[in-house]
Amino acid sequence: MDDQGRKLSETVWTQLDRKAGAITELTIRQLRNRISTWVVLGVGVLLISLLLAFYIDSIRANFEPIDNDGDSEDWDNDGYPLGQEMIYGTSDYDTNNYPGSSEYVYLGDIDYNDQPRTHYGNHTWLYATGYFTPTWIDEEAESPFSYYNWIDWGSRGIDCPDGSPFDDWTYFQSPSYCALENGTYVVFGASFAGEGEISVEPGWSAEWGYMTESFFVEKHPKSMYIDEDPINGIDDDGDCLKDEYQTEDNSPNDSNRNGISCDVEWIYDQNGNLVSIRADNNVDEDPDDSEHIGESSHRTFIIGTGKIAFVMILGLFLPLFLALGLVRDESENGTLHYLLSKPIHRGEFILYRLLGYLGIVVSYTVMLILIVALITSLIGPGDSIVRLSDYPVWMGIALATILVLTAYGSIFNTVGLVMPKYGVYICILYGIWEFLMGLFTITIPNASITMLSVSHWAIQIIDAVVMISWSDTSLIQQKADAFGLETGISFFWHPPVHTLETGNPFVALIISVVIMLSISIGMIAIGQSIFRNKEIM
Amino acid sequence: MSEDNKTPSVILENVSKWYGQVMGINDVSLAIDGGVTGILGPNGAGKSTLFKLLMGRLKPSQGSVKLFGIDPWSDTSPYRRIGYVSESERLYDWMTAQDFVSTLARLHGMTREEANARAEHVLDFVGLHDVRHKEIGKYSKGMRQRVKIAHALVHDPDLIILDEPLHGCDPIARTSIMNVIRELGSQGKTVLVSSHILEEIERITEQIVILHNGRLLALGNLYAIRDLLDKHPHRIMITTDEPRKLASAFISEEPVYGVRFPEEGKLEIQTNDLSAAHSVLPRVIVNSKVSVSRIDNPDDNLESLLGYLIGGT
Repeated sequence: MDDQGRKLSETVWTQLDRKAGAITELTIRQLRNRISTWVVLGVGVLLISLLLAFYIDSIRANFEPIDNDGDSEDWDNDGYPLGQEMIYGTSDYDTNNYPGSSEYVYLGDIDYNDQPRTHYGNHTWLYATGYFTPTWIDEEAESPFSYYNWIDWGSRGIDCPDGSPFDDWTYFQSPSYCALENGTYVVFGASFAGEGEISVEPGWSAEWGYMTESFFVEKHPKSMYIDEDPINGIDDDGDCLKDEYQTEDNSPNDSNRNGISCDVEWIYDQNGNLVSIRADNNVDEDPDDSEHIGESSHRTFIIGTGKIAFVMILGLFLPLFLALGLVRDESENGTLHYLLSKPIHRGEFILYRLLGYLGIVVSYTVMLILIVALITSLIGPGDSIVRLSDYPVWMGIALATILVLTAYGSIFNTVGLVMPKYGVYICILYGIWEFLMGLFTITIPNASITMLSVSHWAIQIIDAVVMISWSDTSLIQQKADAFGLETGISFFWHPPVHTLETGNPFVALIISVVIMLSISIGMIAIGQSIFRNKEIM
Repeated sequence: MSEDNKTPSVILENVSKWYGQVMGINDVSLAIDGGVTGILGPNGAGKSTLFKLLMGRLKPSQGSVKLFGIDPWSDTSPYRRIGYVSESERLYDWMTAQDFVSTLARLHGMTREEANARAEHVLDFVGLHDVRHKEIGKYSKGMRQRVKIAHALVHDPDLIILDEPLHGCDPIARTSIMNVIRELGSQGKTVLVSSHILEEIERITEQIVILHNGRLLALGNLYAIRDLLDKHPHRIMITTDEPRKLASAFISEEPVYGVRFPEEGKLEIQTNDLSAAHSVLPRVIVNSKVSVSRIDNPDDNLESLLGYLIGGT
């Protein structure tokens, strides 16, 4: 008896299965044979391709890093950027002065009133004005400076004009030296290298020192001084911590004036939301750098594409073109007679027709989502080759889209059944309503009127999944808000609303899925009961 | 099946169906079982309405419809044993006949293989075996009708309902479809065929139901009804070059009681016994050696039969 019962139920099941298979298959083949199906699917592919093109374009543009403090500039074109010159204490405005270049070290000077006013030695003389009696002159030495008046000994032998040099000569013309007959040079504000005795007239000055040995310093690429991520309060490139750069009062390496040099201060409001990030000069140029904008734009693209392109556009247009006539067209064409003269309940028939429709649209959207997911996860920002954390979000988008396609499909099919003639207008009006409610859900997530739409719950699913998969999205949003960065992340994403006060995204996810399934099942049941009592001419 | 043998396959009890103010079927009671039954009636008589009531497409406004003892409006289980050819001309033109029939066969719970084998079998039965892999869109009207019949037969039903199966078919297709229907009848199946052309039904079956304006007008053997008709004055129209010569030959024959020349080149013979008149017709024409281009029976149609039946009751 039990065995027989099992056998019976088995046959019932397999027969049901065969009927479902036959109608589903017929529906798929039927839709595949209609041009309008291919048109709407093609338009969908076009839309997504266009979005992808925009994405690729914006990813390229946003990845131009920005140098906020200007220390990647190389003003003197010596190949060492400002940041590196600051670390070595060299000048970025002097071609001859660069990290590792030979440097002048001060030894002594004769100032305006100093005594004695003569000095003998083998030095590099700087800005010397007086009588220099050489024992040896380094005629080959090239100027280590660009701004001191370095003597070019090639024009030696210029005779001094008549009269007393420092009384009668009103000005000294270049070259800034001349030779007296006794072999002594008169120098005026001149710099040179050599051994000898200098005698400085009262009221004038001269300085001397030596040049250090030059050494080779690897030139840093400019990019080293652009991105100092991540925000951690450390002067990653070291151009703030350089001691020599500090002055005693109003030290530039404490520009946020919190008493700590070279740090980053995060400022929160009483709710714990980040309001602003203040960094000392030359420390951390974040967050408006490539990583932040890149990551933020990438997430915005995925969330926006999921909500608008998949849920609100494809989710509405696919059922409008493919589900509205699922049963209505059969009835109008007279082909329904063939199907209904078979031992199949009308309710079953509706269900299997919808299954066939879902067979096409679900495989289509899943394929599209997979392609977009693959491309964006490969070229998107981040260190890893593939952004694996994107995939759960794409799965959430696929779930939301499938549920939306199911819900709208069952609604439109039922409307087409009830109003064969005017159903399409009702569905278009309803589609506009759904689209507007979707937009409202994105802009004003707390509004309660939007709860009356299917798109609201689909968007909730995406919001919830984003929160689960990218838990730092709130932080990224706060940073974007704190710095007024227009990446759109704050527009396109809000934490899910319907969490029963728990703030748990899983709660919102489950609630949304249950509501959308209930809408679909309810609409299918209504369609079934109407169809069951409909007389077919 | 055996337990149903006692009750007729089709039972209608005082069934009425109206669409708003319009009467579709008016108080029809019927019981049909076994063999081919012709449902005869002019357009608008309620034949399709009757079939749609049987197929559960429409709900009777009054009375009850039973197929194998089950109400088809609320229960689809009788369809397991019924094949239905609707009046609809539309088919899935993009499918091949084989595909179409086997897909519908699967709705009976057959596996793909079973369905394919059955489809091939029934398409062979209706004479479409050679073209079964061609798209239906490329079929002629007669072939399309036969595809529709094939789909109705695919599950080997006990009751077959055909709504105007000969409509729009060429003579060859017509003959082939008639043969199919007769063959089904001889297999012991219950077949309901509707038509508005008496001659078609006459060639298929003797058992007829006549509907007129939604009412059941007559029910029974076609020849019994026909005999009534024969006793009614009847005309035979002959188109010939020499109507007067032919008239003189006819006037001496027993069943003929009058001749007339309604127009140039036409001879009208009046008779009270149509079958007797038809039996002498060939002999008289051959003996008179007059060439005849056409013979018509202007009264041998449904309208005059109905007119007679309505007038007689």
